[in-house]
Amino acid sequence: MSRASRRTIPRLWLRSGIAVIGLAVGGVIAAVLPGYLLYIATTAIVASIALIGLGVVTGTAGMIALCQLSFAAIGAWVVSWLNLIHAPGGYIVWLLLGCVASAASGLLLGIPALRLRGINLAVITLGFAAALDLTLVKLQFPGADQGTKIQRPWPFDDDRGFFLFAVIALVVAAVVVSIVQAGRWGSAWRSVAFSERGTATAGASVRFAKLSAFAVSAAISGLAGGLLAGQVGMAFPTSFAALQSLALYLLSIVVGAHLIEMAIFGGILWVLIPEIFKRFGISQDWGLVLFGVLGIQAITSKTSPGQLLRNAIARRRPTPECTSSLTDAPPQPPDTAGTPAVGAALLEVSALSVTYGELKALDHVGFTIHENEIVGLIGPNGAGKSTLVDAISGFVPLQSGDVRLQGRSLRRSAPHVRARAGLRRTYQQDRVPPTLTVGAFTKFVGGGASTPHEIDEILDFFGCPDAGTPLASVDVGRRRIVEVAAQLSAKPNILLLDEPAAGLSHEEHEGLALRLVQVPARFGASVLLIEHDLNLVRSVCTSLLVLDFGTLLASGPQEQVLSRPEVKKAYMGETEML
Amino acid sequence: MLQGALAGLAIGGVYAVIAVCLTITAQLVRVVNFAQAAIGMIGAFFAVSMVGTGLAQPIAIVLGIVVGCLVSAAIGWVITTWLADATTSARSAVTVAALLLLISLSFIAFGTRPQSFRPLLPGPAFTIGGVVVTQVTVAMVILAVVVAIAAKLVLSKTRLGTKLRAIADRPVTAEMIGIPVRALSISVWLATGLIASVAIIVIAPTQSADATSLSLLVIPASAAALLGRFARLDLALIGGLGLGMIQGAAAQFAELNVLRDWIPLVLIVAFLLWNQRKEAWDVAR
Repeated sequence: MSRASRRTIPRLWLRSGIAVIGLAVGGVIAAVLPGYLLYIATTAIVASIALIGLGVVTGTAGMIALCQLSFAAIGAWVVSWLNLIHAPGGYIVWLLLGCVASAASGLLLGIPALRLRGINLAVITLGFAAALDLTLVKLQFPGADQGTKIQRPWPFDDDRGFFLFAVIALVVAAVVVSIVQAGRWGSAWRSVAFSERGTATAGASVRFAKLSAFAVSAAISGLAGGLLAGQVGMAFPTSFAALQSLALYLLSIVVGAHLIEMAIFGGILWVLIPEIFKRFGISQDWGLVLFGVLGIQAITSKTSPGQLLRNAIARRRPTPECTSSLTDAPPQPPDTAGTPAVGAALLEVSALSVTYGELKALDHVGFTIHENEIVGLIGPNGAGKSTLVDAISGFVPLQSGDVRLQGRSLRRSAPHVRARAGLRRTYQQDRVPPTLTVGAFTKFVGGGASTPHEIDEILDFFGCPDAGTPLASVDVGRRRIVEVAAQLSAKPNILLLDEPAAGLSHEEHEGLALRLVQVPARFGASVLLIEHDLNLVRSVCTSLLVLDFGTLLASGPQEQVLSRPEVKKAYMGETEML
Repeated sequence: MLQGALAGLAIGGVYAVIAVCLTITAQLVRVVNFAQAAIGMIGAFFAVSMVGTGLAQPIAIVLGIVVGCLVSAAIGWVITTWLADATTSARSAVTVAALLLLISLSFIAFGTRPQSFRPLLPGPAFTIGGVVVTQVTVAMVILAVVVAIAAKLVLSKTRLGTKLRAIADRPVTAEMIGIPVRALSISVWLATGLIASVAIIVIAPTQSADATSLSLLVIPASAAALLGRFARLDLALIGGLGLGMIQGAAAQFAELNVLRDWIPLVLIVAFLLWNQRKEAWDVAR
C-alpha cells in the first residue's frame, strides 16, 4: 500500500468510532445525571460547540476573532424570530437557518478583514461585538417582551431529551470540522496562519482561505446560539455580551480549541470554573479573572495543554523509518534516451521593470525559458534575483513589462492564479507550515494533480521524510527540499527555485544536483534555478542568466556566459577565481 | 446639530487621546493596546474609591493616575519580558487578556454598577452663538492636542525620541549599541498609562461610568487611530475629534438611537477598505 493513503482509511473508522462512543456517553449522561447538573452539562456542550468554531479561526487559521458570541447571538435571534412567526419546518430547520445567517454575517464582516493581517481583524471583531451588544440590549430578542417560549422538537422537548439533542449537534459539528480540517480547506487554513505567500504559491487563494475559516466558524457559532436559545427557552442579551466573547477567545487559546477534544474540555471548564466559584461563595467574576490570567500565560508560553499532550503522544510513537536520503544515488531516469530536447518557448519575460520608490530594483529585464530547459540565474547579493522571482510569480507589482506563460499574459493575474496556471516557485525563507505533515503539505501544494502513489514516488525521489512525518520535526534545509518535491507534485510547467540548496551539506548539494538534472525528463517541468553554488549551477544548468544591479548582464549557454570578463568581474569579484 | 457636535467634542477628545496612545504604542512597542482605555478606567475607579475613604480629591486623583501607570507598566513588562520577538498579533493578544482581566477585577473591587464621580471641571466654559461649551470639552480638546504635539516633538526632535524610534525599528541593534531597550519600552507603557488615566478621570463624570463602557472606549479610539494607520499622530487626533462630533450630532436624532452605536464599526470598516484598496504582500509572511 502507498505511504500517503495508508493512514486515511483507519482515520475514517477512528472518526466514526469516536462519534458513536461520544453519542453513547451522551446517552448515559442523559440517563443518569440529575436535573440541575444536566442543565449545566447542556451549557457545557453548547460552549464546546462555540469553541470548536472558534478553534477554526484562532487555532487553525491563526486570526484573532473577538466576536464569537455575536455570531451565536445572530443564530439565537433567527431561531427566536422564526419561532415567534411560527415559521414552517420547526426548530431543527430554524437552527440550520440560524447557521446560514451567522455564516452570511461572518462573510460580510470578513470581507473588509480579507487583506488584514492579524490585528485589524481583532479591531473589527471587537467593534462588531460591542455594537451588537448595545443593539441587542436596546432591541431585545424577538418574542422576549411577550415571553414566547421556543418550541423544541419532539422527542427532544424535555431537558433530558434536549441534552441528547445538543450532544448529537456536538458530534455532528465535531465530525464535520474534523473532516474539513483534515482536507484541503484545513491545510489552507494552517498554511495561511504560517505564511500568506506560501499559501498563494500552493495555488490556494488567501482570501478564500481566510473567508472560509471565518464563515465556517461563524456558522458553528450560530448553531451554538440557536441551541442556547432552545435550552433556555428564550434568548437574553447577557448571554452574548462582548465580555463573554473575550473570555471565550482566551479560553480557546488556553486549551488549544483547534483540537476537538480540547474544545470539549474547554466547554467543560467554561461552566465548571464559575460553578466551583459559586459553590465556595466566591464572586463569579473571579472566573473571568482566571481566564484572563490563564490567557496571558498561554499567549506568552506559545503553547496549550492540548498541543503538549499531542506532542507527548507523537514522541512516544516510533518515528517513521526514513527509507531514502538525498545522498543516495538517484534512481535512473525513466527514459534511457537521456534528457529530452529543448522545446518551444514556455516562459517569456519582456522588458520587466520593478521600482521601489526611486530605486530601480529591476530594469528592463527580458529573457525566454523553453520547455525542458534548466536555466541558472546568478548574480551578486542584491542584484535583484529574488525580486525577479517575486515579480514573475506575482508578489511585486510591475512598473512595466510582461510575463507570459505559454503565450498567455500573466501580468494581471494574482499569484495563486499563476500557480494554478503551472508557474510554481519555492522560497529562500522557510514558508513551509510546521503544523502540517509532509504528506498533507505535499497533497495541499499538489492540489490533486498527482495520485498518492505519484506523491510517494516524488518524495522518495528527493529523499524526503515519510509522508506521516510532521514538518515541525524536519530540519529547515530538508523542509526546503520537501517544498521542491511538493511543488513538482503539482505538475507545473515551470518551477522557479530560490536557492534550494541553502542549509544542505556538500553531499546533499551533489545529490540535489543529480536529481534536478532529471526534472525535465521525469516531471516535464522547466526550471529556473537561483543558486550561489557555482558547482551546482555548472552541473545542472544548460544556460545562464546573470543579473547585476537590476539589469541583465549576460545570458546564453553556460560556458560562454561564465567565461565573459564582465560576468567574472561582477559576480566573482576581481580576486576570486572561477 | 451644532449643539450636538460641540457636545460630542468632549468625548471626541477622549477618543483622540486614546487614539494617540494607541498610535504611540503601535509604533514604539509594536502593540495595539486593547486595554488602553481599561487602564485609565482602573486609575479613575481607584481615585473614586480613595475619595470614598475620605481622602482629599487631588491626592486621590494623583494616586489613581499612579495606579493607571503601574497597571500599564505591568502589562508592558509581561510583553517585553516574554514576547520580545513575537509578532504584533501575539503581543496585542496579551492586551485582549488584560482588557478582560481589568474589567473583571474592577467588577470585584468596585462593583458592577456605574461609579459616581464628583465632576472635576464643573459647568460651562463659554458660549458660542447660543451653544454652551463645557469646561470638560475645552480641557479634553486641549489635552488631546497637547499630547499629540508633545509626542510628535519628543519623537522627532529629541535624543530620547531617536532612541525610542531605534528600539521600535531595530530592537536588537538598539540593544547592541547600548540603548536600554526594556527600560525605554516600559517607560513608553508608563507614559501612555499616565495619559489614558488623566483622560478617563477628566471625562468619566460626564459619561455612563461603568467599567465595560469606559473600557470599550478603545473601539472608537481605534477607529480614529486607523485613520492614521496607527502611524500618524495628526490623523489620529483629527479622527478622534471628528468621530466624537459625528456621534454627538447623531445623538440629536432619536431615530438614530440604534444606528449610533454602529458608527465606529462602520468607520473602522471604511478606513480599512480605503487603506488596503491595493493588495500588498507582506515581505515577512
